[in-house]
Amino acid sequence: MLGWEFPPFISGGLGVHCFELTRALGKRGVKIDFFMPKSGKKVESNDPNLRIIGVAETNIRPYLMISKTGRITAAGEKFIDAVQLYNSECEQAVLEMHKTEKYDLVHAHDWLTAKAAAGIKEKTGLSIVQTFHSTEFDRTSVPWDFILDIERMAAQKADIIIAVSQRTRAQVLRLGADERKIRVVYNGVDSAKFTGIAPSRTAEEFKNGRRTVLFLGRLTEQKGPVQFLHAAKKVVQVMPDTLFLIVGTGELLPLLINLSLELGISKNVSFLGYVSDSDQRKIYSASDLYVMPSTSEPFGITALEAMASGTPVIISRTSGVSEVIRSALRVDFWDINGMAEKMVALLKYRPLRSTMGGMAQDDARKLTWDKTAEETQKVYGEAFARK
Amino acid sequence: MDICFYFQVHQPMRLRHFSIFGDGEDTSFGKYFDNELNKQIMEKVATKCYIPTNNLMLDLLEKHPDFRISYSITGVFLEQCKMFMPQILDSFRALAKTGRVDFLSETYYHSLSSLFPSKEEFIEQVEMHKKAIGDLRTDPTVFRNTEAMFSNDIAYLVERMGYHGIMAEGIDHVLGWRSANYLYTVNTCQKIKTLLRNYKLSDDIGYRFSAKWWSEYPLTADKYSSWLSKLEGDCVNVFMDYETFGEHHWQDTGIFEFLKHLPGEVSNHKHLRFTTPSMLVNDVGARGSIDVPHITSWADMERDTSAWLGNEMQRSCFNQMLELEQPVKESKNPEWLSIWRMLQNSDHLYYMCTKSLSDQDVHNYFSPYESPFEAYINYSNILADFSSKVKKEARK
Repeated sequence: MLGWEFPPFISGGLGVHCFELTRALGKRGVKIDFFMPKSGKKVESNDPNLRIIGVAETNIRPYLMISKTGRITAAGEKFIDAVQLYNSECEQAVLEMHKTEKYDLVHAHDWLTAKAAAGIKEKTGLSIVQTFHSTEFDRTSVPWDFILDIERMAAQKADIIIAVSQRTRAQVLRLGADERKIRVVYNGVDSAKFTGIAPSRTAEEFKNGRRTVLFLGRLTEQKGPVQFLHAAKKVVQVMPDTLFLIVGTGELLPLLINLSLELGISKNVSFLGYVSDSDQRKIYSASDLYVMPSTSEPFGITALEAMASGTPVIISRTSGVSEVIRSALRVDFWDINGMAEKMVALLKYRPLRSTMGGMAQDDARKLTWDKTAEETQKVYGEAFARK
Repeated sequence: MDICFYFQVHQPMRLRHFSIFGDGEDTSFGKYFDNELNKQIMEKVATKCYIPTNNLMLDLLEKHPDFRISYSITGVFLEQCKMFMPQILDSFRALAKTGRVDFLSETYYHSLSSLFPSKEEFIEQVEMHKKAIGDLRTDPTVFRNTEAMFSNDIAYLVERMGYHGIMAEGIDHVLGWRSANYLYTVNTCQKIKTLLRNYKLSDDIGYRFSAKWWSEYPLTADKYSSWLSKLEGDCVNVFMDYETFGEHHWQDTGIFEFLKHLPGEVSNHKHLRFTTPSMLVNDVGARGSIDVPHITSWADMERDTSAWLGNEMQRSCFNQMLELEQPVKESKNPEWLSIWRMLQNSDHLYYMCTKSLSDQDVHNYFSPYESPFEAYINYSNILADFSSKVKKEARK
C-alpha cells in the first residue's frame, strides 16, 4: 500500500484512513507493506501483518502547500519536487521488494502516490486499487491542471477505483473513469477512541460555562470557515455568551481573524491552531455541537469522530458522510441563516442535544473501520482476479 | 358475520417554517400555520383521493342497497375543507344523505387530549367535534379516539360522556386467545362495547395492497371477500386511513378497481352483511370483557403511545404545550385558544419520532420535514414564541 501521511503526522482524512485501514486489514489477516515518506520521527507497527517502510525524506504536508488560486508558490514547487521524488523512490523500493515478497496487488491513495503505482503496474503487471479520498475538484475552486492530469491518469490506470462516497464517485467520473470499475467504500470511526473522554479541567475553565460550538479542519475555502463565522455572528445576536472554537490552521487564518474582528465577535471566537490527537478528542467532548460547513467534502471523518464523542453535528449537504448517517442536521453551506438557526436550536434545546447526541453515537458505532476493511478486502479480491 | 368498514379522514394543520431571526410581535394564526402548504396538500389529496373516492362510494351505495360504510372526520380536516375546498364537504353530505353512512365522534383537533391530566380539554374538544359534524350526523353513539388510543380509563370517560361504543386496536397481547372478531365490554366500565380492529385484514388493504413482495399480491375483491367469508366470529372491523384510496396507493395500483368490485363480491357470500359501528353496538352482544390498563393505539409495531411520546424531544414538547393550558384559557383570547389547540395535532409529535428503520419510513412518508430533528426545532421555536407572548400577557 502506498500512502503519504500516517499518525502522528496527519493533515487530512487520508492519513487517518491509511492508519485505521491497515490495522483493520491486518486483523483480518491481510499482509501489508505500507510505504510512506520517511521523516524525522519514527513510525512503528506492532502488527506482524503490517510493515511500515519509509522512503525519500520529506517533512512536507501535501494540502497546506498549494495556494487556492492554483499558483505554484515557492513552497508548492518544493512540494511538487518532494512528491516526484517520493513517487520515483517509492516505485524503486516496491520493485526491489517485489522480487522477494511477490506482492499480489498495489493499493495507492490519491494522486500523491498514483505515479508510483502506474510505474509498478507497467513493470510488473500487478493490479492497482486506487482510492480517491478527494479530487482536485473538491480541494480548490480553480483546479490545478498539473494535479488534474495525474488524477486523470490514475483513473485510467487503476483496475478498480475506491471512492469514499457517492459524491466522490461523481467527481471521479468527471476525471473520465469508467463507471464500471468504481466501488464506493465509506470511511469509519474507531468509536472506542472517542467515547468516555472527560473534558480536561483547562477546557472547562476555558469554556467558563459558555455553550461551545466547534469548527475543526483546515482553514481553507473548501472547509467553509468563512460561512461559519458569519453564522456565528447571527448566533451571538440571540445568544451573546456562545463560544466558537476554531481548530486547525491554513491559508485563511489571517483573513478569519480579521473577519471575527470586523463582525464584532472576536470575544466569542477562539483560534486554537493545530492540536494533538488527544486534545482533539477532549475538544470534541467539551463542545456542545460540531459544525462542518464544507463547500465540498468528499467524506468528512471529523463529523464521525464528533458523533462518536456524543456531540451532535451540523453538516453540509455537500458532504460524503451525509450519505451514511441519520442523526445529523443538514445545511446548505451557503445558507448562513439556516446554519445559525440550527446552531441556536442545538444550543437552546437540551432534549435535541441529548437525543441527537445519543443517536449520533449509535450511528458512529455502526460505521467501523472493520466494515471499511471488509469491503476493501472484497475489492482486493476483485482486482486480484483481474490480474 | 357483520363487516364494518371504517375510514379515518384527517389532514393536519402543518406549521410554517418559523425563523427565529424574524421580528417577533405578531401572534396571528398565519404566522405559525402554513396555509399555502396546507391548501396545496388538501387540493392534491382531494384530486387523488377524497373526490374520486367519495364519488365511487356514492355510486356503490346507489348500486348496492346493502352496502354500508363509516367515517370519522377530524375537525381540523373539516376546518380546512371550509377554508380551501368546500366541495369536499358537499360530497360527504351527499354520502350522509344515503342514510347508510355512519359518522363517528372524536377529538376536534386530532389531539392527545385524552392523555392530559385534566379531562376537561378532552371533553370540550369532543363536544366541538360533535357540533362540527352536526350536519352529517347528529349525536354519534360510537367514539373513535385519536389514532385509536384506548385504555380502561379512556373507555370509562367516554362511556360517561354517553357513548355506547368505542374503537380500539385488536392487539394480540391484550386479547390473548380471544379473537378481535367479537365485541367486548371493558372491565372498568358498565356497558360500553369495544370495536376491535382486525389489523391483518385492515393492513392487507391499507399497507400491503400494492406491495409486490407480498405473497398475496395482487389482491382482488374476489380473493378478499373469500377471506372474509371464512372468518369465524360475529363481526370483522376493517379500519384504515381514507387516504388509502388514491393517495397511499395510487390509482394505477388498481385500488379503485378493487373497491369498485368489493360490495358485489361480498354479497356473493350470503352470510356476510355490511354494517356500521352504530348498528354493531346496537345489534351485536358482547362476548366477554377486556382489561387494558396501559394505553394502546394502532400505530407502529409497538401499538402504544411511543409514536408520539417515545423520545425526550416529543415528551418535552408535549409537556410544554400542556403548561400553556391555563394561561391560554385565562387570557380569553379566542385566537390564542385556537392556536394552542392546533398545536395539539398529534401529527406534530409524530414527525419527531426517532424509531427503528421500518417504522421510521412510515413516519417520514407523512412528514413535511427533512428529519425528526427539524420537526422538533420548528415546533419548539413556534411554541417558545407563542409561549412568551401568552406568558407576558399573563403577567400583566
